[in-house]
Amino acid sequence: METVKTLPELPLTEVLDLALQAGLLVHLSGGDTARAASTMHRSALALGAVRADTVVSSLNIGLTIERGTERETAFRRAPHVGANFTNLSDIERCLEALEDGQLSADAFREGLAAIARHKPHYPRWLMAILIGVSCGAFAALFGGDAGAVLITTLGAGLGVAVRFVLLARGFKPVLFAIAASFVALLVVGLLQRFTATPDAALAASVLFLIPGVPLINGASDMLVANYLNGMVRLTMSAMIVLGIAIGVSVALRFLS
Amino acid sequence: MQAWLIELWAAPAALGFALLFNVPPRALLACGVLAIAGHAARKLAMDFGGADIVFGTLIAALLIGFAAEWWGRRQRDVPLMYAISAAIPMIPGTFMYKAVQGLLGIAKLQANAAGEAILVSAGVNIVKASMIVLALAFGIAAPHLLWPKHQHH
Repeated sequence: METVKTLPELPLTEVLDLALQAGLLVHLSGGDTARAASTMHRSALALGAVRADTVVSSLNIGLTIERGTERETAFRRAPHVGANFTNLSDIERCLEALEDGQLSADAFREGLAAIARHKPHYPRWLMAILIGVSCGAFAALFGGDAGAVLITTLGAGLGVAVRFVLLARGFKPVLFAIAASFVALLVVGLLQRFTATPDAALAASVLFLIPGVPLINGASDMLVANYLNGMVRLTMSAMIVLGIAIGVSVALRFLS
Repeated sequence: MQAWLIELWAAPAALGFALLFNVPPRALLACGVLAIAGHAARKLAMDFGGADIVFGTLIAALLIGFAAEWWGRRQRDVPLMYAISAAIPMIPGTFMYKAVQGLLGIAKLQANAAGEAILVSAGVNIVKASMIVLALAFGIAAPHLLWPKHQHH
């Protein structure tokens, strides 16, 4: 704490801006509620606020900070998007360096801006192929043979491609889940004569859609008593699962 | 032996999703190893410890949660990165969508036909899937739940 006093005092609005920016990045990178709140709290205190109170809901984050008689509040819209663990790790490292006094406020601002500009490590086509392979691996875990692994990889890879395209055009989760699971299951169903274990292939082909991060984050929010955000994440997962089930049902009618 | 080799498939199953979550390349190996360890721990608990799938998942998730916390601190990474990637192969996706898909079958019932069998089988699947997800979340959050005042990163 004493090291902070030696720095020139930052205007409270700038402290607020930086702390909110850090919290927003954590929220947009799929961090859980506690992480977003503690990131804002820790960065505000490290930048010279004396007291910080946070609000983190599924769609907005907010922060009020105080120093002496001054007080500032702001909110930002923060829609939920996918997980990005590279960003989460980098923000944490930036924040630790700031707390240890190794980073100035300006360097912290630049660090956050650089993280926000990060491109994903992996291109879309590579993700589509490897997530397809993941689903093939699931088919193997379910006791499928080599044929099942291959056709599941193909079907799920195409499904992932459909999902990326629809997501980029702004379709809602239920709709892209229906379309992607329909495509994946139809492809696997049409190719099922290449395997002796079609059930394993069919069951594994739509698993790329199962919302693992919101499910686990949601359940862990519930366990650490963030009930509202936990319910939001679990409901979001339930809607995607509903979409998968609809897509699968429709595809099965085409196949039989 | 053959049955145990199948456990190795947990690594590719986890890694595809690790890419989707933009896990940095330096962390992929650890994610894959932890995924295999977790999935094999569950099989071990179920085959030799006589555990059911929920209890087996809890044991595996505790292993993943603590190993991820330790490794994440060591590497100065977010532990959740390792924990979630490794937990992915144990998410009960098949139970979940089969339950909902069964429920959609009610639409096809004749006017006066009874649908209890559908409800019961869907209910069983949903409860089982929920317990497995809860067990996974508990294991992953265990370091935070059991030492709430400790400084976690």
